Amino acid sequence: MTLLSPDFAEELKRYSDDTALACFNCGTCTAICPLIDGHFPRKMIRYVQIGAKERILENAPELWKCLHCGLCTQTCPREANPGELILGLKRLVISHWRKA
Amino acid sequence: MYHPGDIIEAIAANLRATRNPFGIPHFIVNRWWREAGLTAHGDAMLFTGMMYQFVPYIETSTTYLAKYEDTPLAAYLRYARYAPGYLSGLGLAAITPAREKRRFDRILQDIVRLLKASEVDFYYRPELDRYSGILLYDLGDQEGFVRHARWLANRLQKAGIKKLITVDPHTTYALKELFPKYTGVRFEVHPYFELLRLGGGNGRRTTVALHDPCFYGRYLGLSDVPARALADLGIDCAPVDRSGAYTHCCGGPAESISPRLAGEVGQRRLDQLAQTGAPIVAMCPICLGNLRKLGAEVRDLSSVMAENL
Repeated sequence: MTLLSPDFAEELKRYSDDTALACFNCGTCTAICPLIDGHFPRKMIRYVQIGAKERILENAPELWKCLHCGLCTQTCPREANPGELILGLKRLVISHWRKA
Repeated sequence: MYHPGDIIEAIAANLRATRNPFGIPHFIVNRWWREAGLTAHGDAMLFTGMMYQFVPYIETSTTYLAKYEDTPLAAYLRYARYAPGYLSGLGLAAITPAREKRRFDRILQDIVRLLKASEVDFYYRPELDRYSGILLYDLGDQEGFVRHARWLANRLQKAGIKKLITVDPHTTYALKELFPKYTGVRFEVHPYFELLRLGGGNGRRTTVALHDPCFYGRYLGLSDVPARALADLGIDCAPVDRSGAYTHCCGGPAESISPRLAGEVGQRRLDQLAQTGAPIVAMCPICLGNLRKLGAEVRDLSSVMAENL
């Protein structure tokens, strides 16, 4: 069970462009990602959409597998900018770690 | 995989204390220019951003990180942030082989040869040539990056610097895109290969497999420029699977957090480049370092061009 934070997208705006809701979860980002690692980054973007902040914090180290290569952003059919969203999540998590 | 927080806090602490992510004193890292015969006045300042100079130290540190990744000892990295910056930096400098430092210094000297051969009016001021902070940006430490970028932008601005010639994609992206956005300071920035006018070459025709780094190929859309500079010297680029805006990452950006992952991604890219059968050429110090670590013979763009002058 996971507690959802309805205002999470609002919180993320401080760290990233507000593009998560443009994503329709087609999985192009995951297919093109050079990591070839499960459902990354689609899973993280889905967590943002539903406000699953706890899930993101629990799995936070996974975010740093991202190479910031930009291939997902280049190929996203919805221009949801997944690469920048992952970078924004890294910033949010660092801020959370530093406050802890 | 290491805990990202441990790596980020160690790098951030070093950068805060020493302006260098490894804590190595500037006069030790930046020695390449001493025999390059450079002037201190001209139209544009050559700005290396220290990335090529850092590669030998990155190679040494990631060798140790690779050794202890996913072992119980990895947890001790959390104490690295408390080590005095210069102390750990001097230690790293002492165990890094001098021949590797010379190898990467020679790349910068080759870039100088190319600029001089193209009659570019440039100068160099080693005291102003500092690290851009780009690694902190990529790792998500926005606060640390902006603090460092403001310090550097202010320093360059006070010295009256307006035009910069860069040598690597990460520093180019930082100065061209991030500095205006986050510091409000704008410089005219040119990667060195944009300024080359090297018609002719030595008459030998060769073909290379040119690896486009993500920041040149995708973020800055500059892939055609180095290919044209090579063509001017009679060097052709073999078609590489995944190039230009769709280039494949070398894996290097993951090398501090997970050397294993950096190796896996790098091997995929190496396979694509090796398929061409042509000698592999890189134009980014991170790509060059990571692909070489996998055992490939990879040369830098500037060295290949300098030898074909």
